Amino acid sequence: MFRRVARFVVLMVLAAGAAAALLHRPKHDVRPAPGAVVVTYWEKWTGDEGAQMEQIVGEFNDTVGRHKGIFVQYLSVSNVNQKTLVATAAGVPPDVAGVWDGQIAQFAAMDALEPLDDLAAEHGITEALYKPVYWRACHYEGRLWGLISTPACVALHYNKRIFQECADALRAAGLDPDRPPRTLEELDRYAAVLDRKRPGTDRWDRYGYLPMEPGWFLVHTAYWFGGSIYDEAAGRFTLTDEPVVRAYEWIRSYSLKLGRGSMMEFVDSRGAYASPQNAFLVGTVAMQQQGPWMANTIESHRPAMNRWKFGAGLSRPEKLAEEVKLSSEERRANYEWGAAPFPSVGGEIVTYAGFDVLVIPRGARHKREAFEFIAYINRADVQEKLCSLHCKNTMLRSVSDEYIRNHPNPYIEVFETMASSPAARGIPPIPIWPEVDAEMAQVAQKVYLLTQEPRAALEEAQLRLQAKLDQFNRRQQQRRTREASR
Amino acid sequence: MSGRQWRQLGKGLAFVSPWLAGFCLFMALPIGMSLYYSLCDYSLLKGPLFVGLENYAELIWRRDPLGRVGDPVFYQSLWNTMRYAAMALPAGMLVSLGLALLLNAGIGGQSIYRTIIFLPSLVPVVASAMLWMWLFRADPKQGLINGVLEMLGVTGPSWLADKTWAMPSLALMSLWGVGHTVVIYLAGLQDVPRELYEAAEIDGAGLWRRLWHVTIPMISPVIFFNLVMGIIGTLQVFAVPYIMTGGGPERTTYFFTMYLYDNAFNYLKMGHASAMAWIQLVLILLLTGAAFWSSRRWVHYQGK
Repeated sequence: MFRRVARFVVLMVLAAGAAAALLHRPKHDVRPAPGAVVVTYWEKWTGDEGAQMEQIVGEFNDTVGRHKGIFVQYLSVSNVNQKTLVATAAGVPPDVAGVWDGQIAQFAAMDALEPLDDLAAEHGITEALYKPVYWRACHYEGRLWGLISTPACVALHYNKRIFQECADALRAAGLDPDRPPRTLEELDRYAAVLDRKRPGTDRWDRYGYLPMEPGWFLVHTAYWFGGSIYDEAAGRFTLTDEPVVRAYEWIRSYSLKLGRGSMMEFVDSRGAYASPQNAFLVGTVAMQQQGPWMANTIESHRPAMNRWKFGAGLSRPEKLAEEVKLSSEERRANYEWGAAPFPSVGGEIVTYAGFDVLVIPRGARHKREAFEFIAYINRADVQEKLCSLHCKNTMLRSVSDEYIRNHPNPYIEVFETMASSPAARGIPPIPIWPEVDAEMAQVAQKVYLLTQEPRAALEEAQLRLQAKLDQFNRRQQQRRTREASR
Repeated sequence: MSGRQWRQLGKGLAFVSPWLAGFCLFMALPIGMSLYYSLCDYSLLKGPLFVGLENYAELIWRRDPLGRVGDPVFYQSLWNTMRYAAMALPAGMLVSLGLALLLNAGIGGQSIYRTIIFLPSLVPVVASAMLWMWLFRADPKQGLINGVLEMLGVTGPSWLADKTWAMPSLALMSLWGVGHTVVIYLAGLQDVPRELYEAAEIDGAGLWRRLWHVTIPMISPVIFFNLVMGIIGTLQVFAVPYIMTGGGPERTTYFFTMYLYDNAFNYLKMGHASAMAWIQLVLILLLTGAAFWSSRRWVHYQGK
């Protein structure tokens, strides 16, 4: 009896498994057609972003790929930059790798990438397609080394609900609760009004603004002060330039206002970015610097913030279908948060424009076929679709009305405008960028923990980083001399 | 050797040849190469550029642009590692020995306690690091430790964000994984002959004297083993600080292995990283050698 029951249970489990496999079978071909060239594509994305990119890859395989005999094989790879480099050194690189903007100069200087100028020209991908900031950042020493998969840029995100709760106090301070700050001076005043202490304690339970939340763009703060940490033409760091010093003094001013202990407590206790404990989502921080993907993050972890006025019981597609019928202003009113250009010293629209980039590692076996895929991703319709899925702006100079209307971020126009601004800045083309990033993170920590004066910390970093860059350049020159003498 | 002996040697070598080949290919060759690369500027992608002792000079004795001797980050990471070893190693050995003594006391439910103490060692490092990050949270509404301290009227520090407390917090967290050491101590304790305790008792020795004059000398080889393993382990600590603090605040928990990793895989300075690996090897050899040298005075082997 027991054996019969056991046999029945096993059969049922197998049948259920087979049914599940049939139901969830991939929608696209997962095997290459006979004779197709298989292009291996390593990408950093997992989860939703990974699945969305896989969807785009599947569409390529079903259309252009099928027509041209190319099959792209998508593989999610952690630490994709490091693994791509090791594989390239070993002579077995992927055909396409999805890395970050900071790697372009580093990889190109190390001879890890194939230049793409000729292939891009063959496919008609030129400066005319791209917003200037992105096109510039894909280049290093005059050559094109990668093309963008998904770009983004940074805006001021503000919590409209908190603004309304503090409307009286804001008005009393001469500020308008119905709009975000427009100057840095205004930002500081808004922040001061929105700061709040936990009743009966000396602990802050809400911060109007904190430079270190999320702190991902601290290294680029000087852009909003009219400066930059690097002079590309001279090949020298400019950390002691007045705008850079002023930027770090501004960061420090928040620690002086709120107290060093509060800074430490906040850094120690803040929730993870991709979690319902995210400081902006729980209202611990009322304003912050973030990218357009924030709309997706909010939708995943605190969807009520995207349904302020209506749509409480609606799924995302249902809600978006409702919003399509509304004007831009009406749609934005349904969001508890807003996005606007982060104020700058000169009043220009300034942003840091970063991106994920597709490169062909040196020694890739199927360069031309790999570029077919990269060119497909750079097609306007595909770019709009991918960037909508990833909730980002595009690198395209002009986008369709449909893209704006259907984009999951109601403020996407703001991001498109910011990225098009002449004052938009990309990552500086420094071949030792990871060291710069690490060193500047130390400067930021010393400044916001009030351990060192900004100018002193920047002077030290200037000397250290310049010495590292000079050494890198010297060794590059030695290598070139050695190769020339062979 | 006779022909038979030669044949036997041939057979023996044939049997160990997979291991020998593996050792040469995957251990001896990379070790030799890393020594060579430590004398080069090497980024994996371009051929190594021989620079002599430059990497060692930069790390150890050449003045940096600010006039400081050596690379300040190298020295800071070394200092942090030594500080951590000085905190975590004695604390871990004392706590694990104490727990092993309690478990050896012959109380009921010993196997349950043993399981409970060993269990945390089975939790993956990443999971336990995440758990401790929550425990250490500064806000008493979130962090259990500061929550309890607040109930007692004490304001807890920002454990992982305060330069003063970050390192002790990591050392405290290292006690979470003492289960393995406890089991080794326990095996040593259970090997101590009962007659020695009986003789000591007849001579009037109390609990403390029995511990000091019987237990400790008898398990001294086990203590020595744990000491050597502890030295090697604490000098190679990586995953927990990498996850919990990322080396911060202000590099106060930036360990030697983290700087080595960054040099190798983030900055692609394989030559620099190889030089650091060799310096680490020399340090571990020196400290282990010192432990072996001192062991002649305090480690007692039965039968000697």
